[in-house]
Amino acid sequence: MSINVLVVDDSKITRSVIKKTIKIAGIDFNKIFEAENGKEALEVLGNEWIDLIFTDINMPIMGGAEMIEKLGDDGLLKTIPVIVVSTERSQTRIEQLQKCGVKAYVKKPFHPEEIKKIVDDIIGRD
Amino acid sequence: MVITVNISDLGTSNSNEDKIITYSLGSCVGVSLYDPVAEVGSLIHCMLPLSKVDRAKSKIKPYMFVDTGLQAQLKIMYDNGATKKNIVAKVAGGSKLLDKKSLFRIGERNYTVVRKILWKNNILIENEDVGGTKSRTMYLVMETGKTYLKIRGEEIEL
Repeated sequence: MSINVLVVDDSKITRSVIKKTIKIAGIDFNKIFEAENGKEALEVLGNEWIDLIFTDINMPIMGGAEMIEKLGDDGLLKTIPVIVVSTERSQTRIEQLQKCGVKAYVKKPFHPEEIKKIVDDIIGRD
Repeated sequence: MVITVNISDLGTSNSNEDKIITYSLGSCVGVSLYDPVAEVGSLIHCMLPLSKVDRAKSKIKPYMFVDTGLQAQLKIMYDNGATKKNIVAKVAGGSKLLDKKSLFRIGERNYTVVRKILWKNNILIENEDVGGTKSRTMYLVMETGKTYLKIRGEEIEL
């Protein structure tokens, strides 16, 4: 199944690293959408079918935590697997996010292989 | 046939009967590349990260340096029918065996340049065993395409 991916991060460099990883990791994707913050991401989610979300936590306008909370309010959007990619180190915060349905957590800085492994785990490739 | 790769050297094969091996990877870094479709494999043993320290030497011994060596290794793979999409890359070495105080951090720098060059070539590392203070023997079995490490007598698949 070809998946549509949404990458939410205010850093263009992080977005491009995640995008490039998806492209070269052999992941069967259809389209990769980008957003600079939670608000932009919700707009994309309103207009497009998204299968997987990568998101940062600390972003201007609307952060990742608030965006994840809003996804939880929507019956359809809350089913989308979310992978948090952030510098956030607080274990309590991470646990809170996991309670909100976050599937995986990647600490920045990361190696692209970590992204590949997590996507493989989530979409069930070997 | 066993193809032995010395320090600053590269071994390539497209025969199922071959095994490509390199010994004593300390701060040096070894990279095995294998394409299961083209059935071609190679193993390199690089000593230093960047060729700019000695351009003249890098012309004679490109495999001494990670930047020139790995580029040359990739080119040989492509020339033998391998594709970026199919190449399986495994990395070992980059330890601080002779540099316990981490003065020069050669191992770490070797590994960083490996990552950089593979990333530039759109290749992710399938598996790695780097750093620490171990000496590693690394070999690629062409029949299966699997890479193994021998560390202090113990053998593991990478």
